[in-house]
Amino acid sequence: MVEVLKVSGLEKRFGGIVVADNIELALVEGRVLGLIGPNGAGKTSFFNLVCGVVKPDAGSIVLNGQEINSLPIRERARMGLARTWQNLRLFQSLSVLDNLMLGPRDYSADNLLNVMLRPGHVAERERDSRDRAFAILERTGLTEIAHSPISDITFGQQKLVGVARALMNDARCLLLDEPMAGVEGQAYALIQRVVRDIAASGVAVCVVEHNVAFIRDLCDEGVFMFAGKVLARGSVESLIADPLLTELYFGT
Amino acid sequence: MDYVYTILILIGLFVILASSFDLVIGHCGLISIAHPIFYAIGAYVSAMLAKEGGVPIPLAILCGGAAAFVSSVLVALPSLRVSGDYLLIASIGFQLGLIEFAKHIHSIGGAGGLTNIPPFLVNDYGRLSYVLLVLAVAALTVLFVRWLTRGPYGRMMAALRDDELAFSMLGRNAIWLKVSVFAIGSGIAGVAGGLYAHYFRFLEPDQFGLLQSSAILTMVVVGGMRTTMGPVIGAIVLQILPQAITFFGLPPSILGPLQGLMFSGLVLFFMFARPQGLIAAPDIWAGRKPKAGQRGGLADG
Repeated sequence: MVEVLKVSGLEKRFGGIVVADNIELALVEGRVLGLIGPNGAGKTSFFNLVCGVVKPDAGSIVLNGQEINSLPIRERARMGLARTWQNLRLFQSLSVLDNLMLGPRDYSADNLLNVMLRPGHVAERERDSRDRAFAILERTGLTEIAHSPISDITFGQQKLVGVARALMNDARCLLLDEPMAGVEGQAYALIQRVVRDIAASGVAVCVVEHNVAFIRDLCDEGVFMFAGKVLARGSVESLIADPLLTELYFGT
Repeated sequence: MDYVYTILILIGLFVILASSFDLVIGHCGLISIAHPIFYAIGAYVSAMLAKEGGVPIPLAILCGGAAAFVSSVLVALPSLRVSGDYLLIASIGFQLGLIEFAKHIHSIGGAGGLTNIPPFLVNDYGRLSYVLLVLAVAALTVLFVRWLTRGPYGRMMAALRDDELAFSMLGRNAIWLKVSVFAIGSGIAGVAGGLYAHYFRFLEPDQFGLLQSSAILTMVVVGGMRTTMGPVIGAIVLQILPQAITFFGLPPSILGPLQGLMFSGLVLFFMFARPQGLIAAPDIWAGRKPKAGQRGGLADG
């Protein structure tokens, strides 16, 4: 049980609103953790804190044994942290393939000196990342739309592109923000299978999701969040069976 | 004939300026209009090195470009670390401040201007040789911008324009990309400045002000942002039109304001009638095609 990501004493408030209240959480290699809770419980905020989009007021975030609290977003990504976004954040003026080709954790072609002076090296990196992108497009069933603009594909496909782009990072830790919202049919089973495969390859996965069936089928363990607090953790079955949590969730 | 050569040189210089400015504002989406100050830095550094330091002129021109490159990094780095919006303010402040500053430095000619800049090529090989030099540099600039923006750098710039947060979450360095593109564009403008200085042999600070900023911006907007030929056509049209009306034989008191009116009239016309410019950029970024036999070519798409 290798802890890839360990969060302790994490605190964050915006004015009077508490989005993280002394959160203690660990993501373990090869396992899928589901975050459930009503809107405003702090699930997405937790992702934003881990990724460095938002700076915590207190607490520590440790990735691969290294504290990352003060690191900018890009440095965390370079250490093998990847995520998807609730509102997708795909690059609209790029094709599906080009969206993916920005994902690999190889930054030598970003260096201007390499671009100018070592065009052969840059071309080789391009070939590698294209091959890698096509391998992932195949896994996610997107090969046929590789050259389509984002605006031309269905919402379910866009969700898959978001996941596929995150996979390009070859992450140790993957955070999925509502991968199933608005997805139905074929894409549903596909996303489920892809996430399970990723976890099986040893990645620590965390999923925020309102689709309870999806969470139950996929996650090894669940965490129930409310008002920035981790209220309970355990099997997803036990969490959804708890009448108190159900009441908090549906606000009845 | 000399008049035609001079017009051709001006067109060539403005093709360099418009194309490099399109790299900054069009491709990378960096809001700055201070391009002329890097043109000025290149011009003054090259002129002073050649005039006072006896540096060979080709080397002096390259040093001018390098000086513009370095000074643009110094302007961009602090402002881009805060937020993209500050670049506009910081760069205009730098532009106007440096112009005022230059007016009070007597060793570079002050407000009266820097005269007797050593000439290049023209005395030995005639004006045509200089025309060819400038047009060659212009062609190289256009091809370079096209090459850079159609490679992985172009893909990164498109992604950065779309969503900086998602771009950072892929581990990519947005600040580094912005600063390096800003510096390349400014460095190219600096080289153009050196080419200007050793042909016209006279520089004064006021010519690099906001009027020139708006002229270059107009060229890019009218021609079409993020296109290879847009800035070229913009530069040609906006150099030739003001020259053309001088043939009507109007008195200078009318001619000056008329040219200004034409500029702003063109911008207004294009903003309403054709905001994408004469040449429209495609909505989706298209890179170089991968070499034959490779996956991902357009043939299998």
